[in-house]
Amino acid sequence: MSNNSFTPTLQALCTALLLSLAILACSKPETIKDLSDASYKLLNTDSSTVDFPQDYKGNISVVSFIYTHCPDVCPVITANMKNIQSGLEDTSDIQFIEISFDPQRDTPQVLKEYKKFFQLNSQFSLLTGEPAPVDSLLSQLNIVAKKIQPDSLQQDSSKYDMIHSNKIYLMDKAGKIRAEYPASNVPPKNVIEDIQKLR
Amino acid sequence: MTLLKHFLLVLIVGSIAIGCSSKSSSQKENKNVVLGKLELSNGWARPASQGQNGAVYLTIANGTASDDTLLNVQSDAADRAELHESYKDENSTVGMRPVDRQPIPESEKLLLKPGGLHIMLMNLKRDIAVGDSVSVSLEFAQVGTRTLQVPVKIQE
Repeated sequence: MSNNSFTPTLQALCTALLLSLAILACSKPETIKDLSDASYKLLNTDSSTVDFPQDYKGNISVVSFIYTHCPDVCPVITANMKNIQSGLEDTSDIQFIEISFDPQRDTPQVLKEYKKFFQLNSQFSLLTGEPAPVDSLLSQLNIVAKKIQPDSLQQDSSKYDMIHSNKIYLMDKAGKIRAEYPASNVPPKNVIEDIQKLR
Repeated sequence: MTLLKHFLLVLIVGSIAIGCSSKSSSQKENKNVVLGKLELSNGWARPASQGQNGAVYLTIANGTASDDTLLNVQSDAADRAELHESYKDENSTVGMRPVDRQPIPESEKLLLKPGGLHIMLMNLKRDIAVGDSVSVSLEFAQVGTRTLQVPVKIQE
């Protein structure tokens, strides 16, 4: 093949590559899970009932999953949520929601303490609830949370750790899950870029 | 044509470089170890309320001429303190487990950091809030027990 005949092919390839990258960078995230008609009755930190996601429609929500007895990874997730918040120039249409997958121990009062200790402002909703709706929501969102007993605590069934999913979801204003990220280590800018696309 | 060839070459080499690069998951490093002593630095604890679990992080630099081992940890702020590590399994779920004694070769550091090794404070006896401090003791095989006060702060 001569250089002259090869050049147009290369040019076409490069153009296609650049176009693909440009389209990828600008496209809105696809719907992963549609919760727009779903309704889960959960509890806020003041023990008031919250209808998730209906009560959050109209705003973009950054949603994560934690348990408060987790001393390491869950606070890392919370710190990442705060970093996403602080990285946004305008947070007026954004909500930050952390849902406990340990409703047995995470009562509204316990979540209220967690919110206070980690200095989360009023844009953060920390939600818990009766085990049935919480489990149903977690199942719907493919969030895994399983109790484990460390050897050293085996005699006390009320003390347990959990292995769990490590996800942050981005939910649009209609209640559709549009993106998911590794919660403890996603760079905040990645989430912020997707938030801008959904605005 | 030459320009296009160069463009493609840079693209391919760049892709290979990105694909091959990886962050070290090692908890140990040997940069900037102060020789002659075992040094504890950058210590801090997370806030948590009474009855909850807490975590303490710090850097242990073994600048002595001997390998050492972190044998045990204690804190008067909690019923019990243990060395734990967070991990991710093949399904991308995360968890935490106790770990055994940690060797620290001479001239190396052991990093206790968020998402990795940490001192877990189990069943806190009191609230520990931002601005408080927590006392932790670390028992080493060679240099004995070292106690330090670490500030309570929010991770940034």
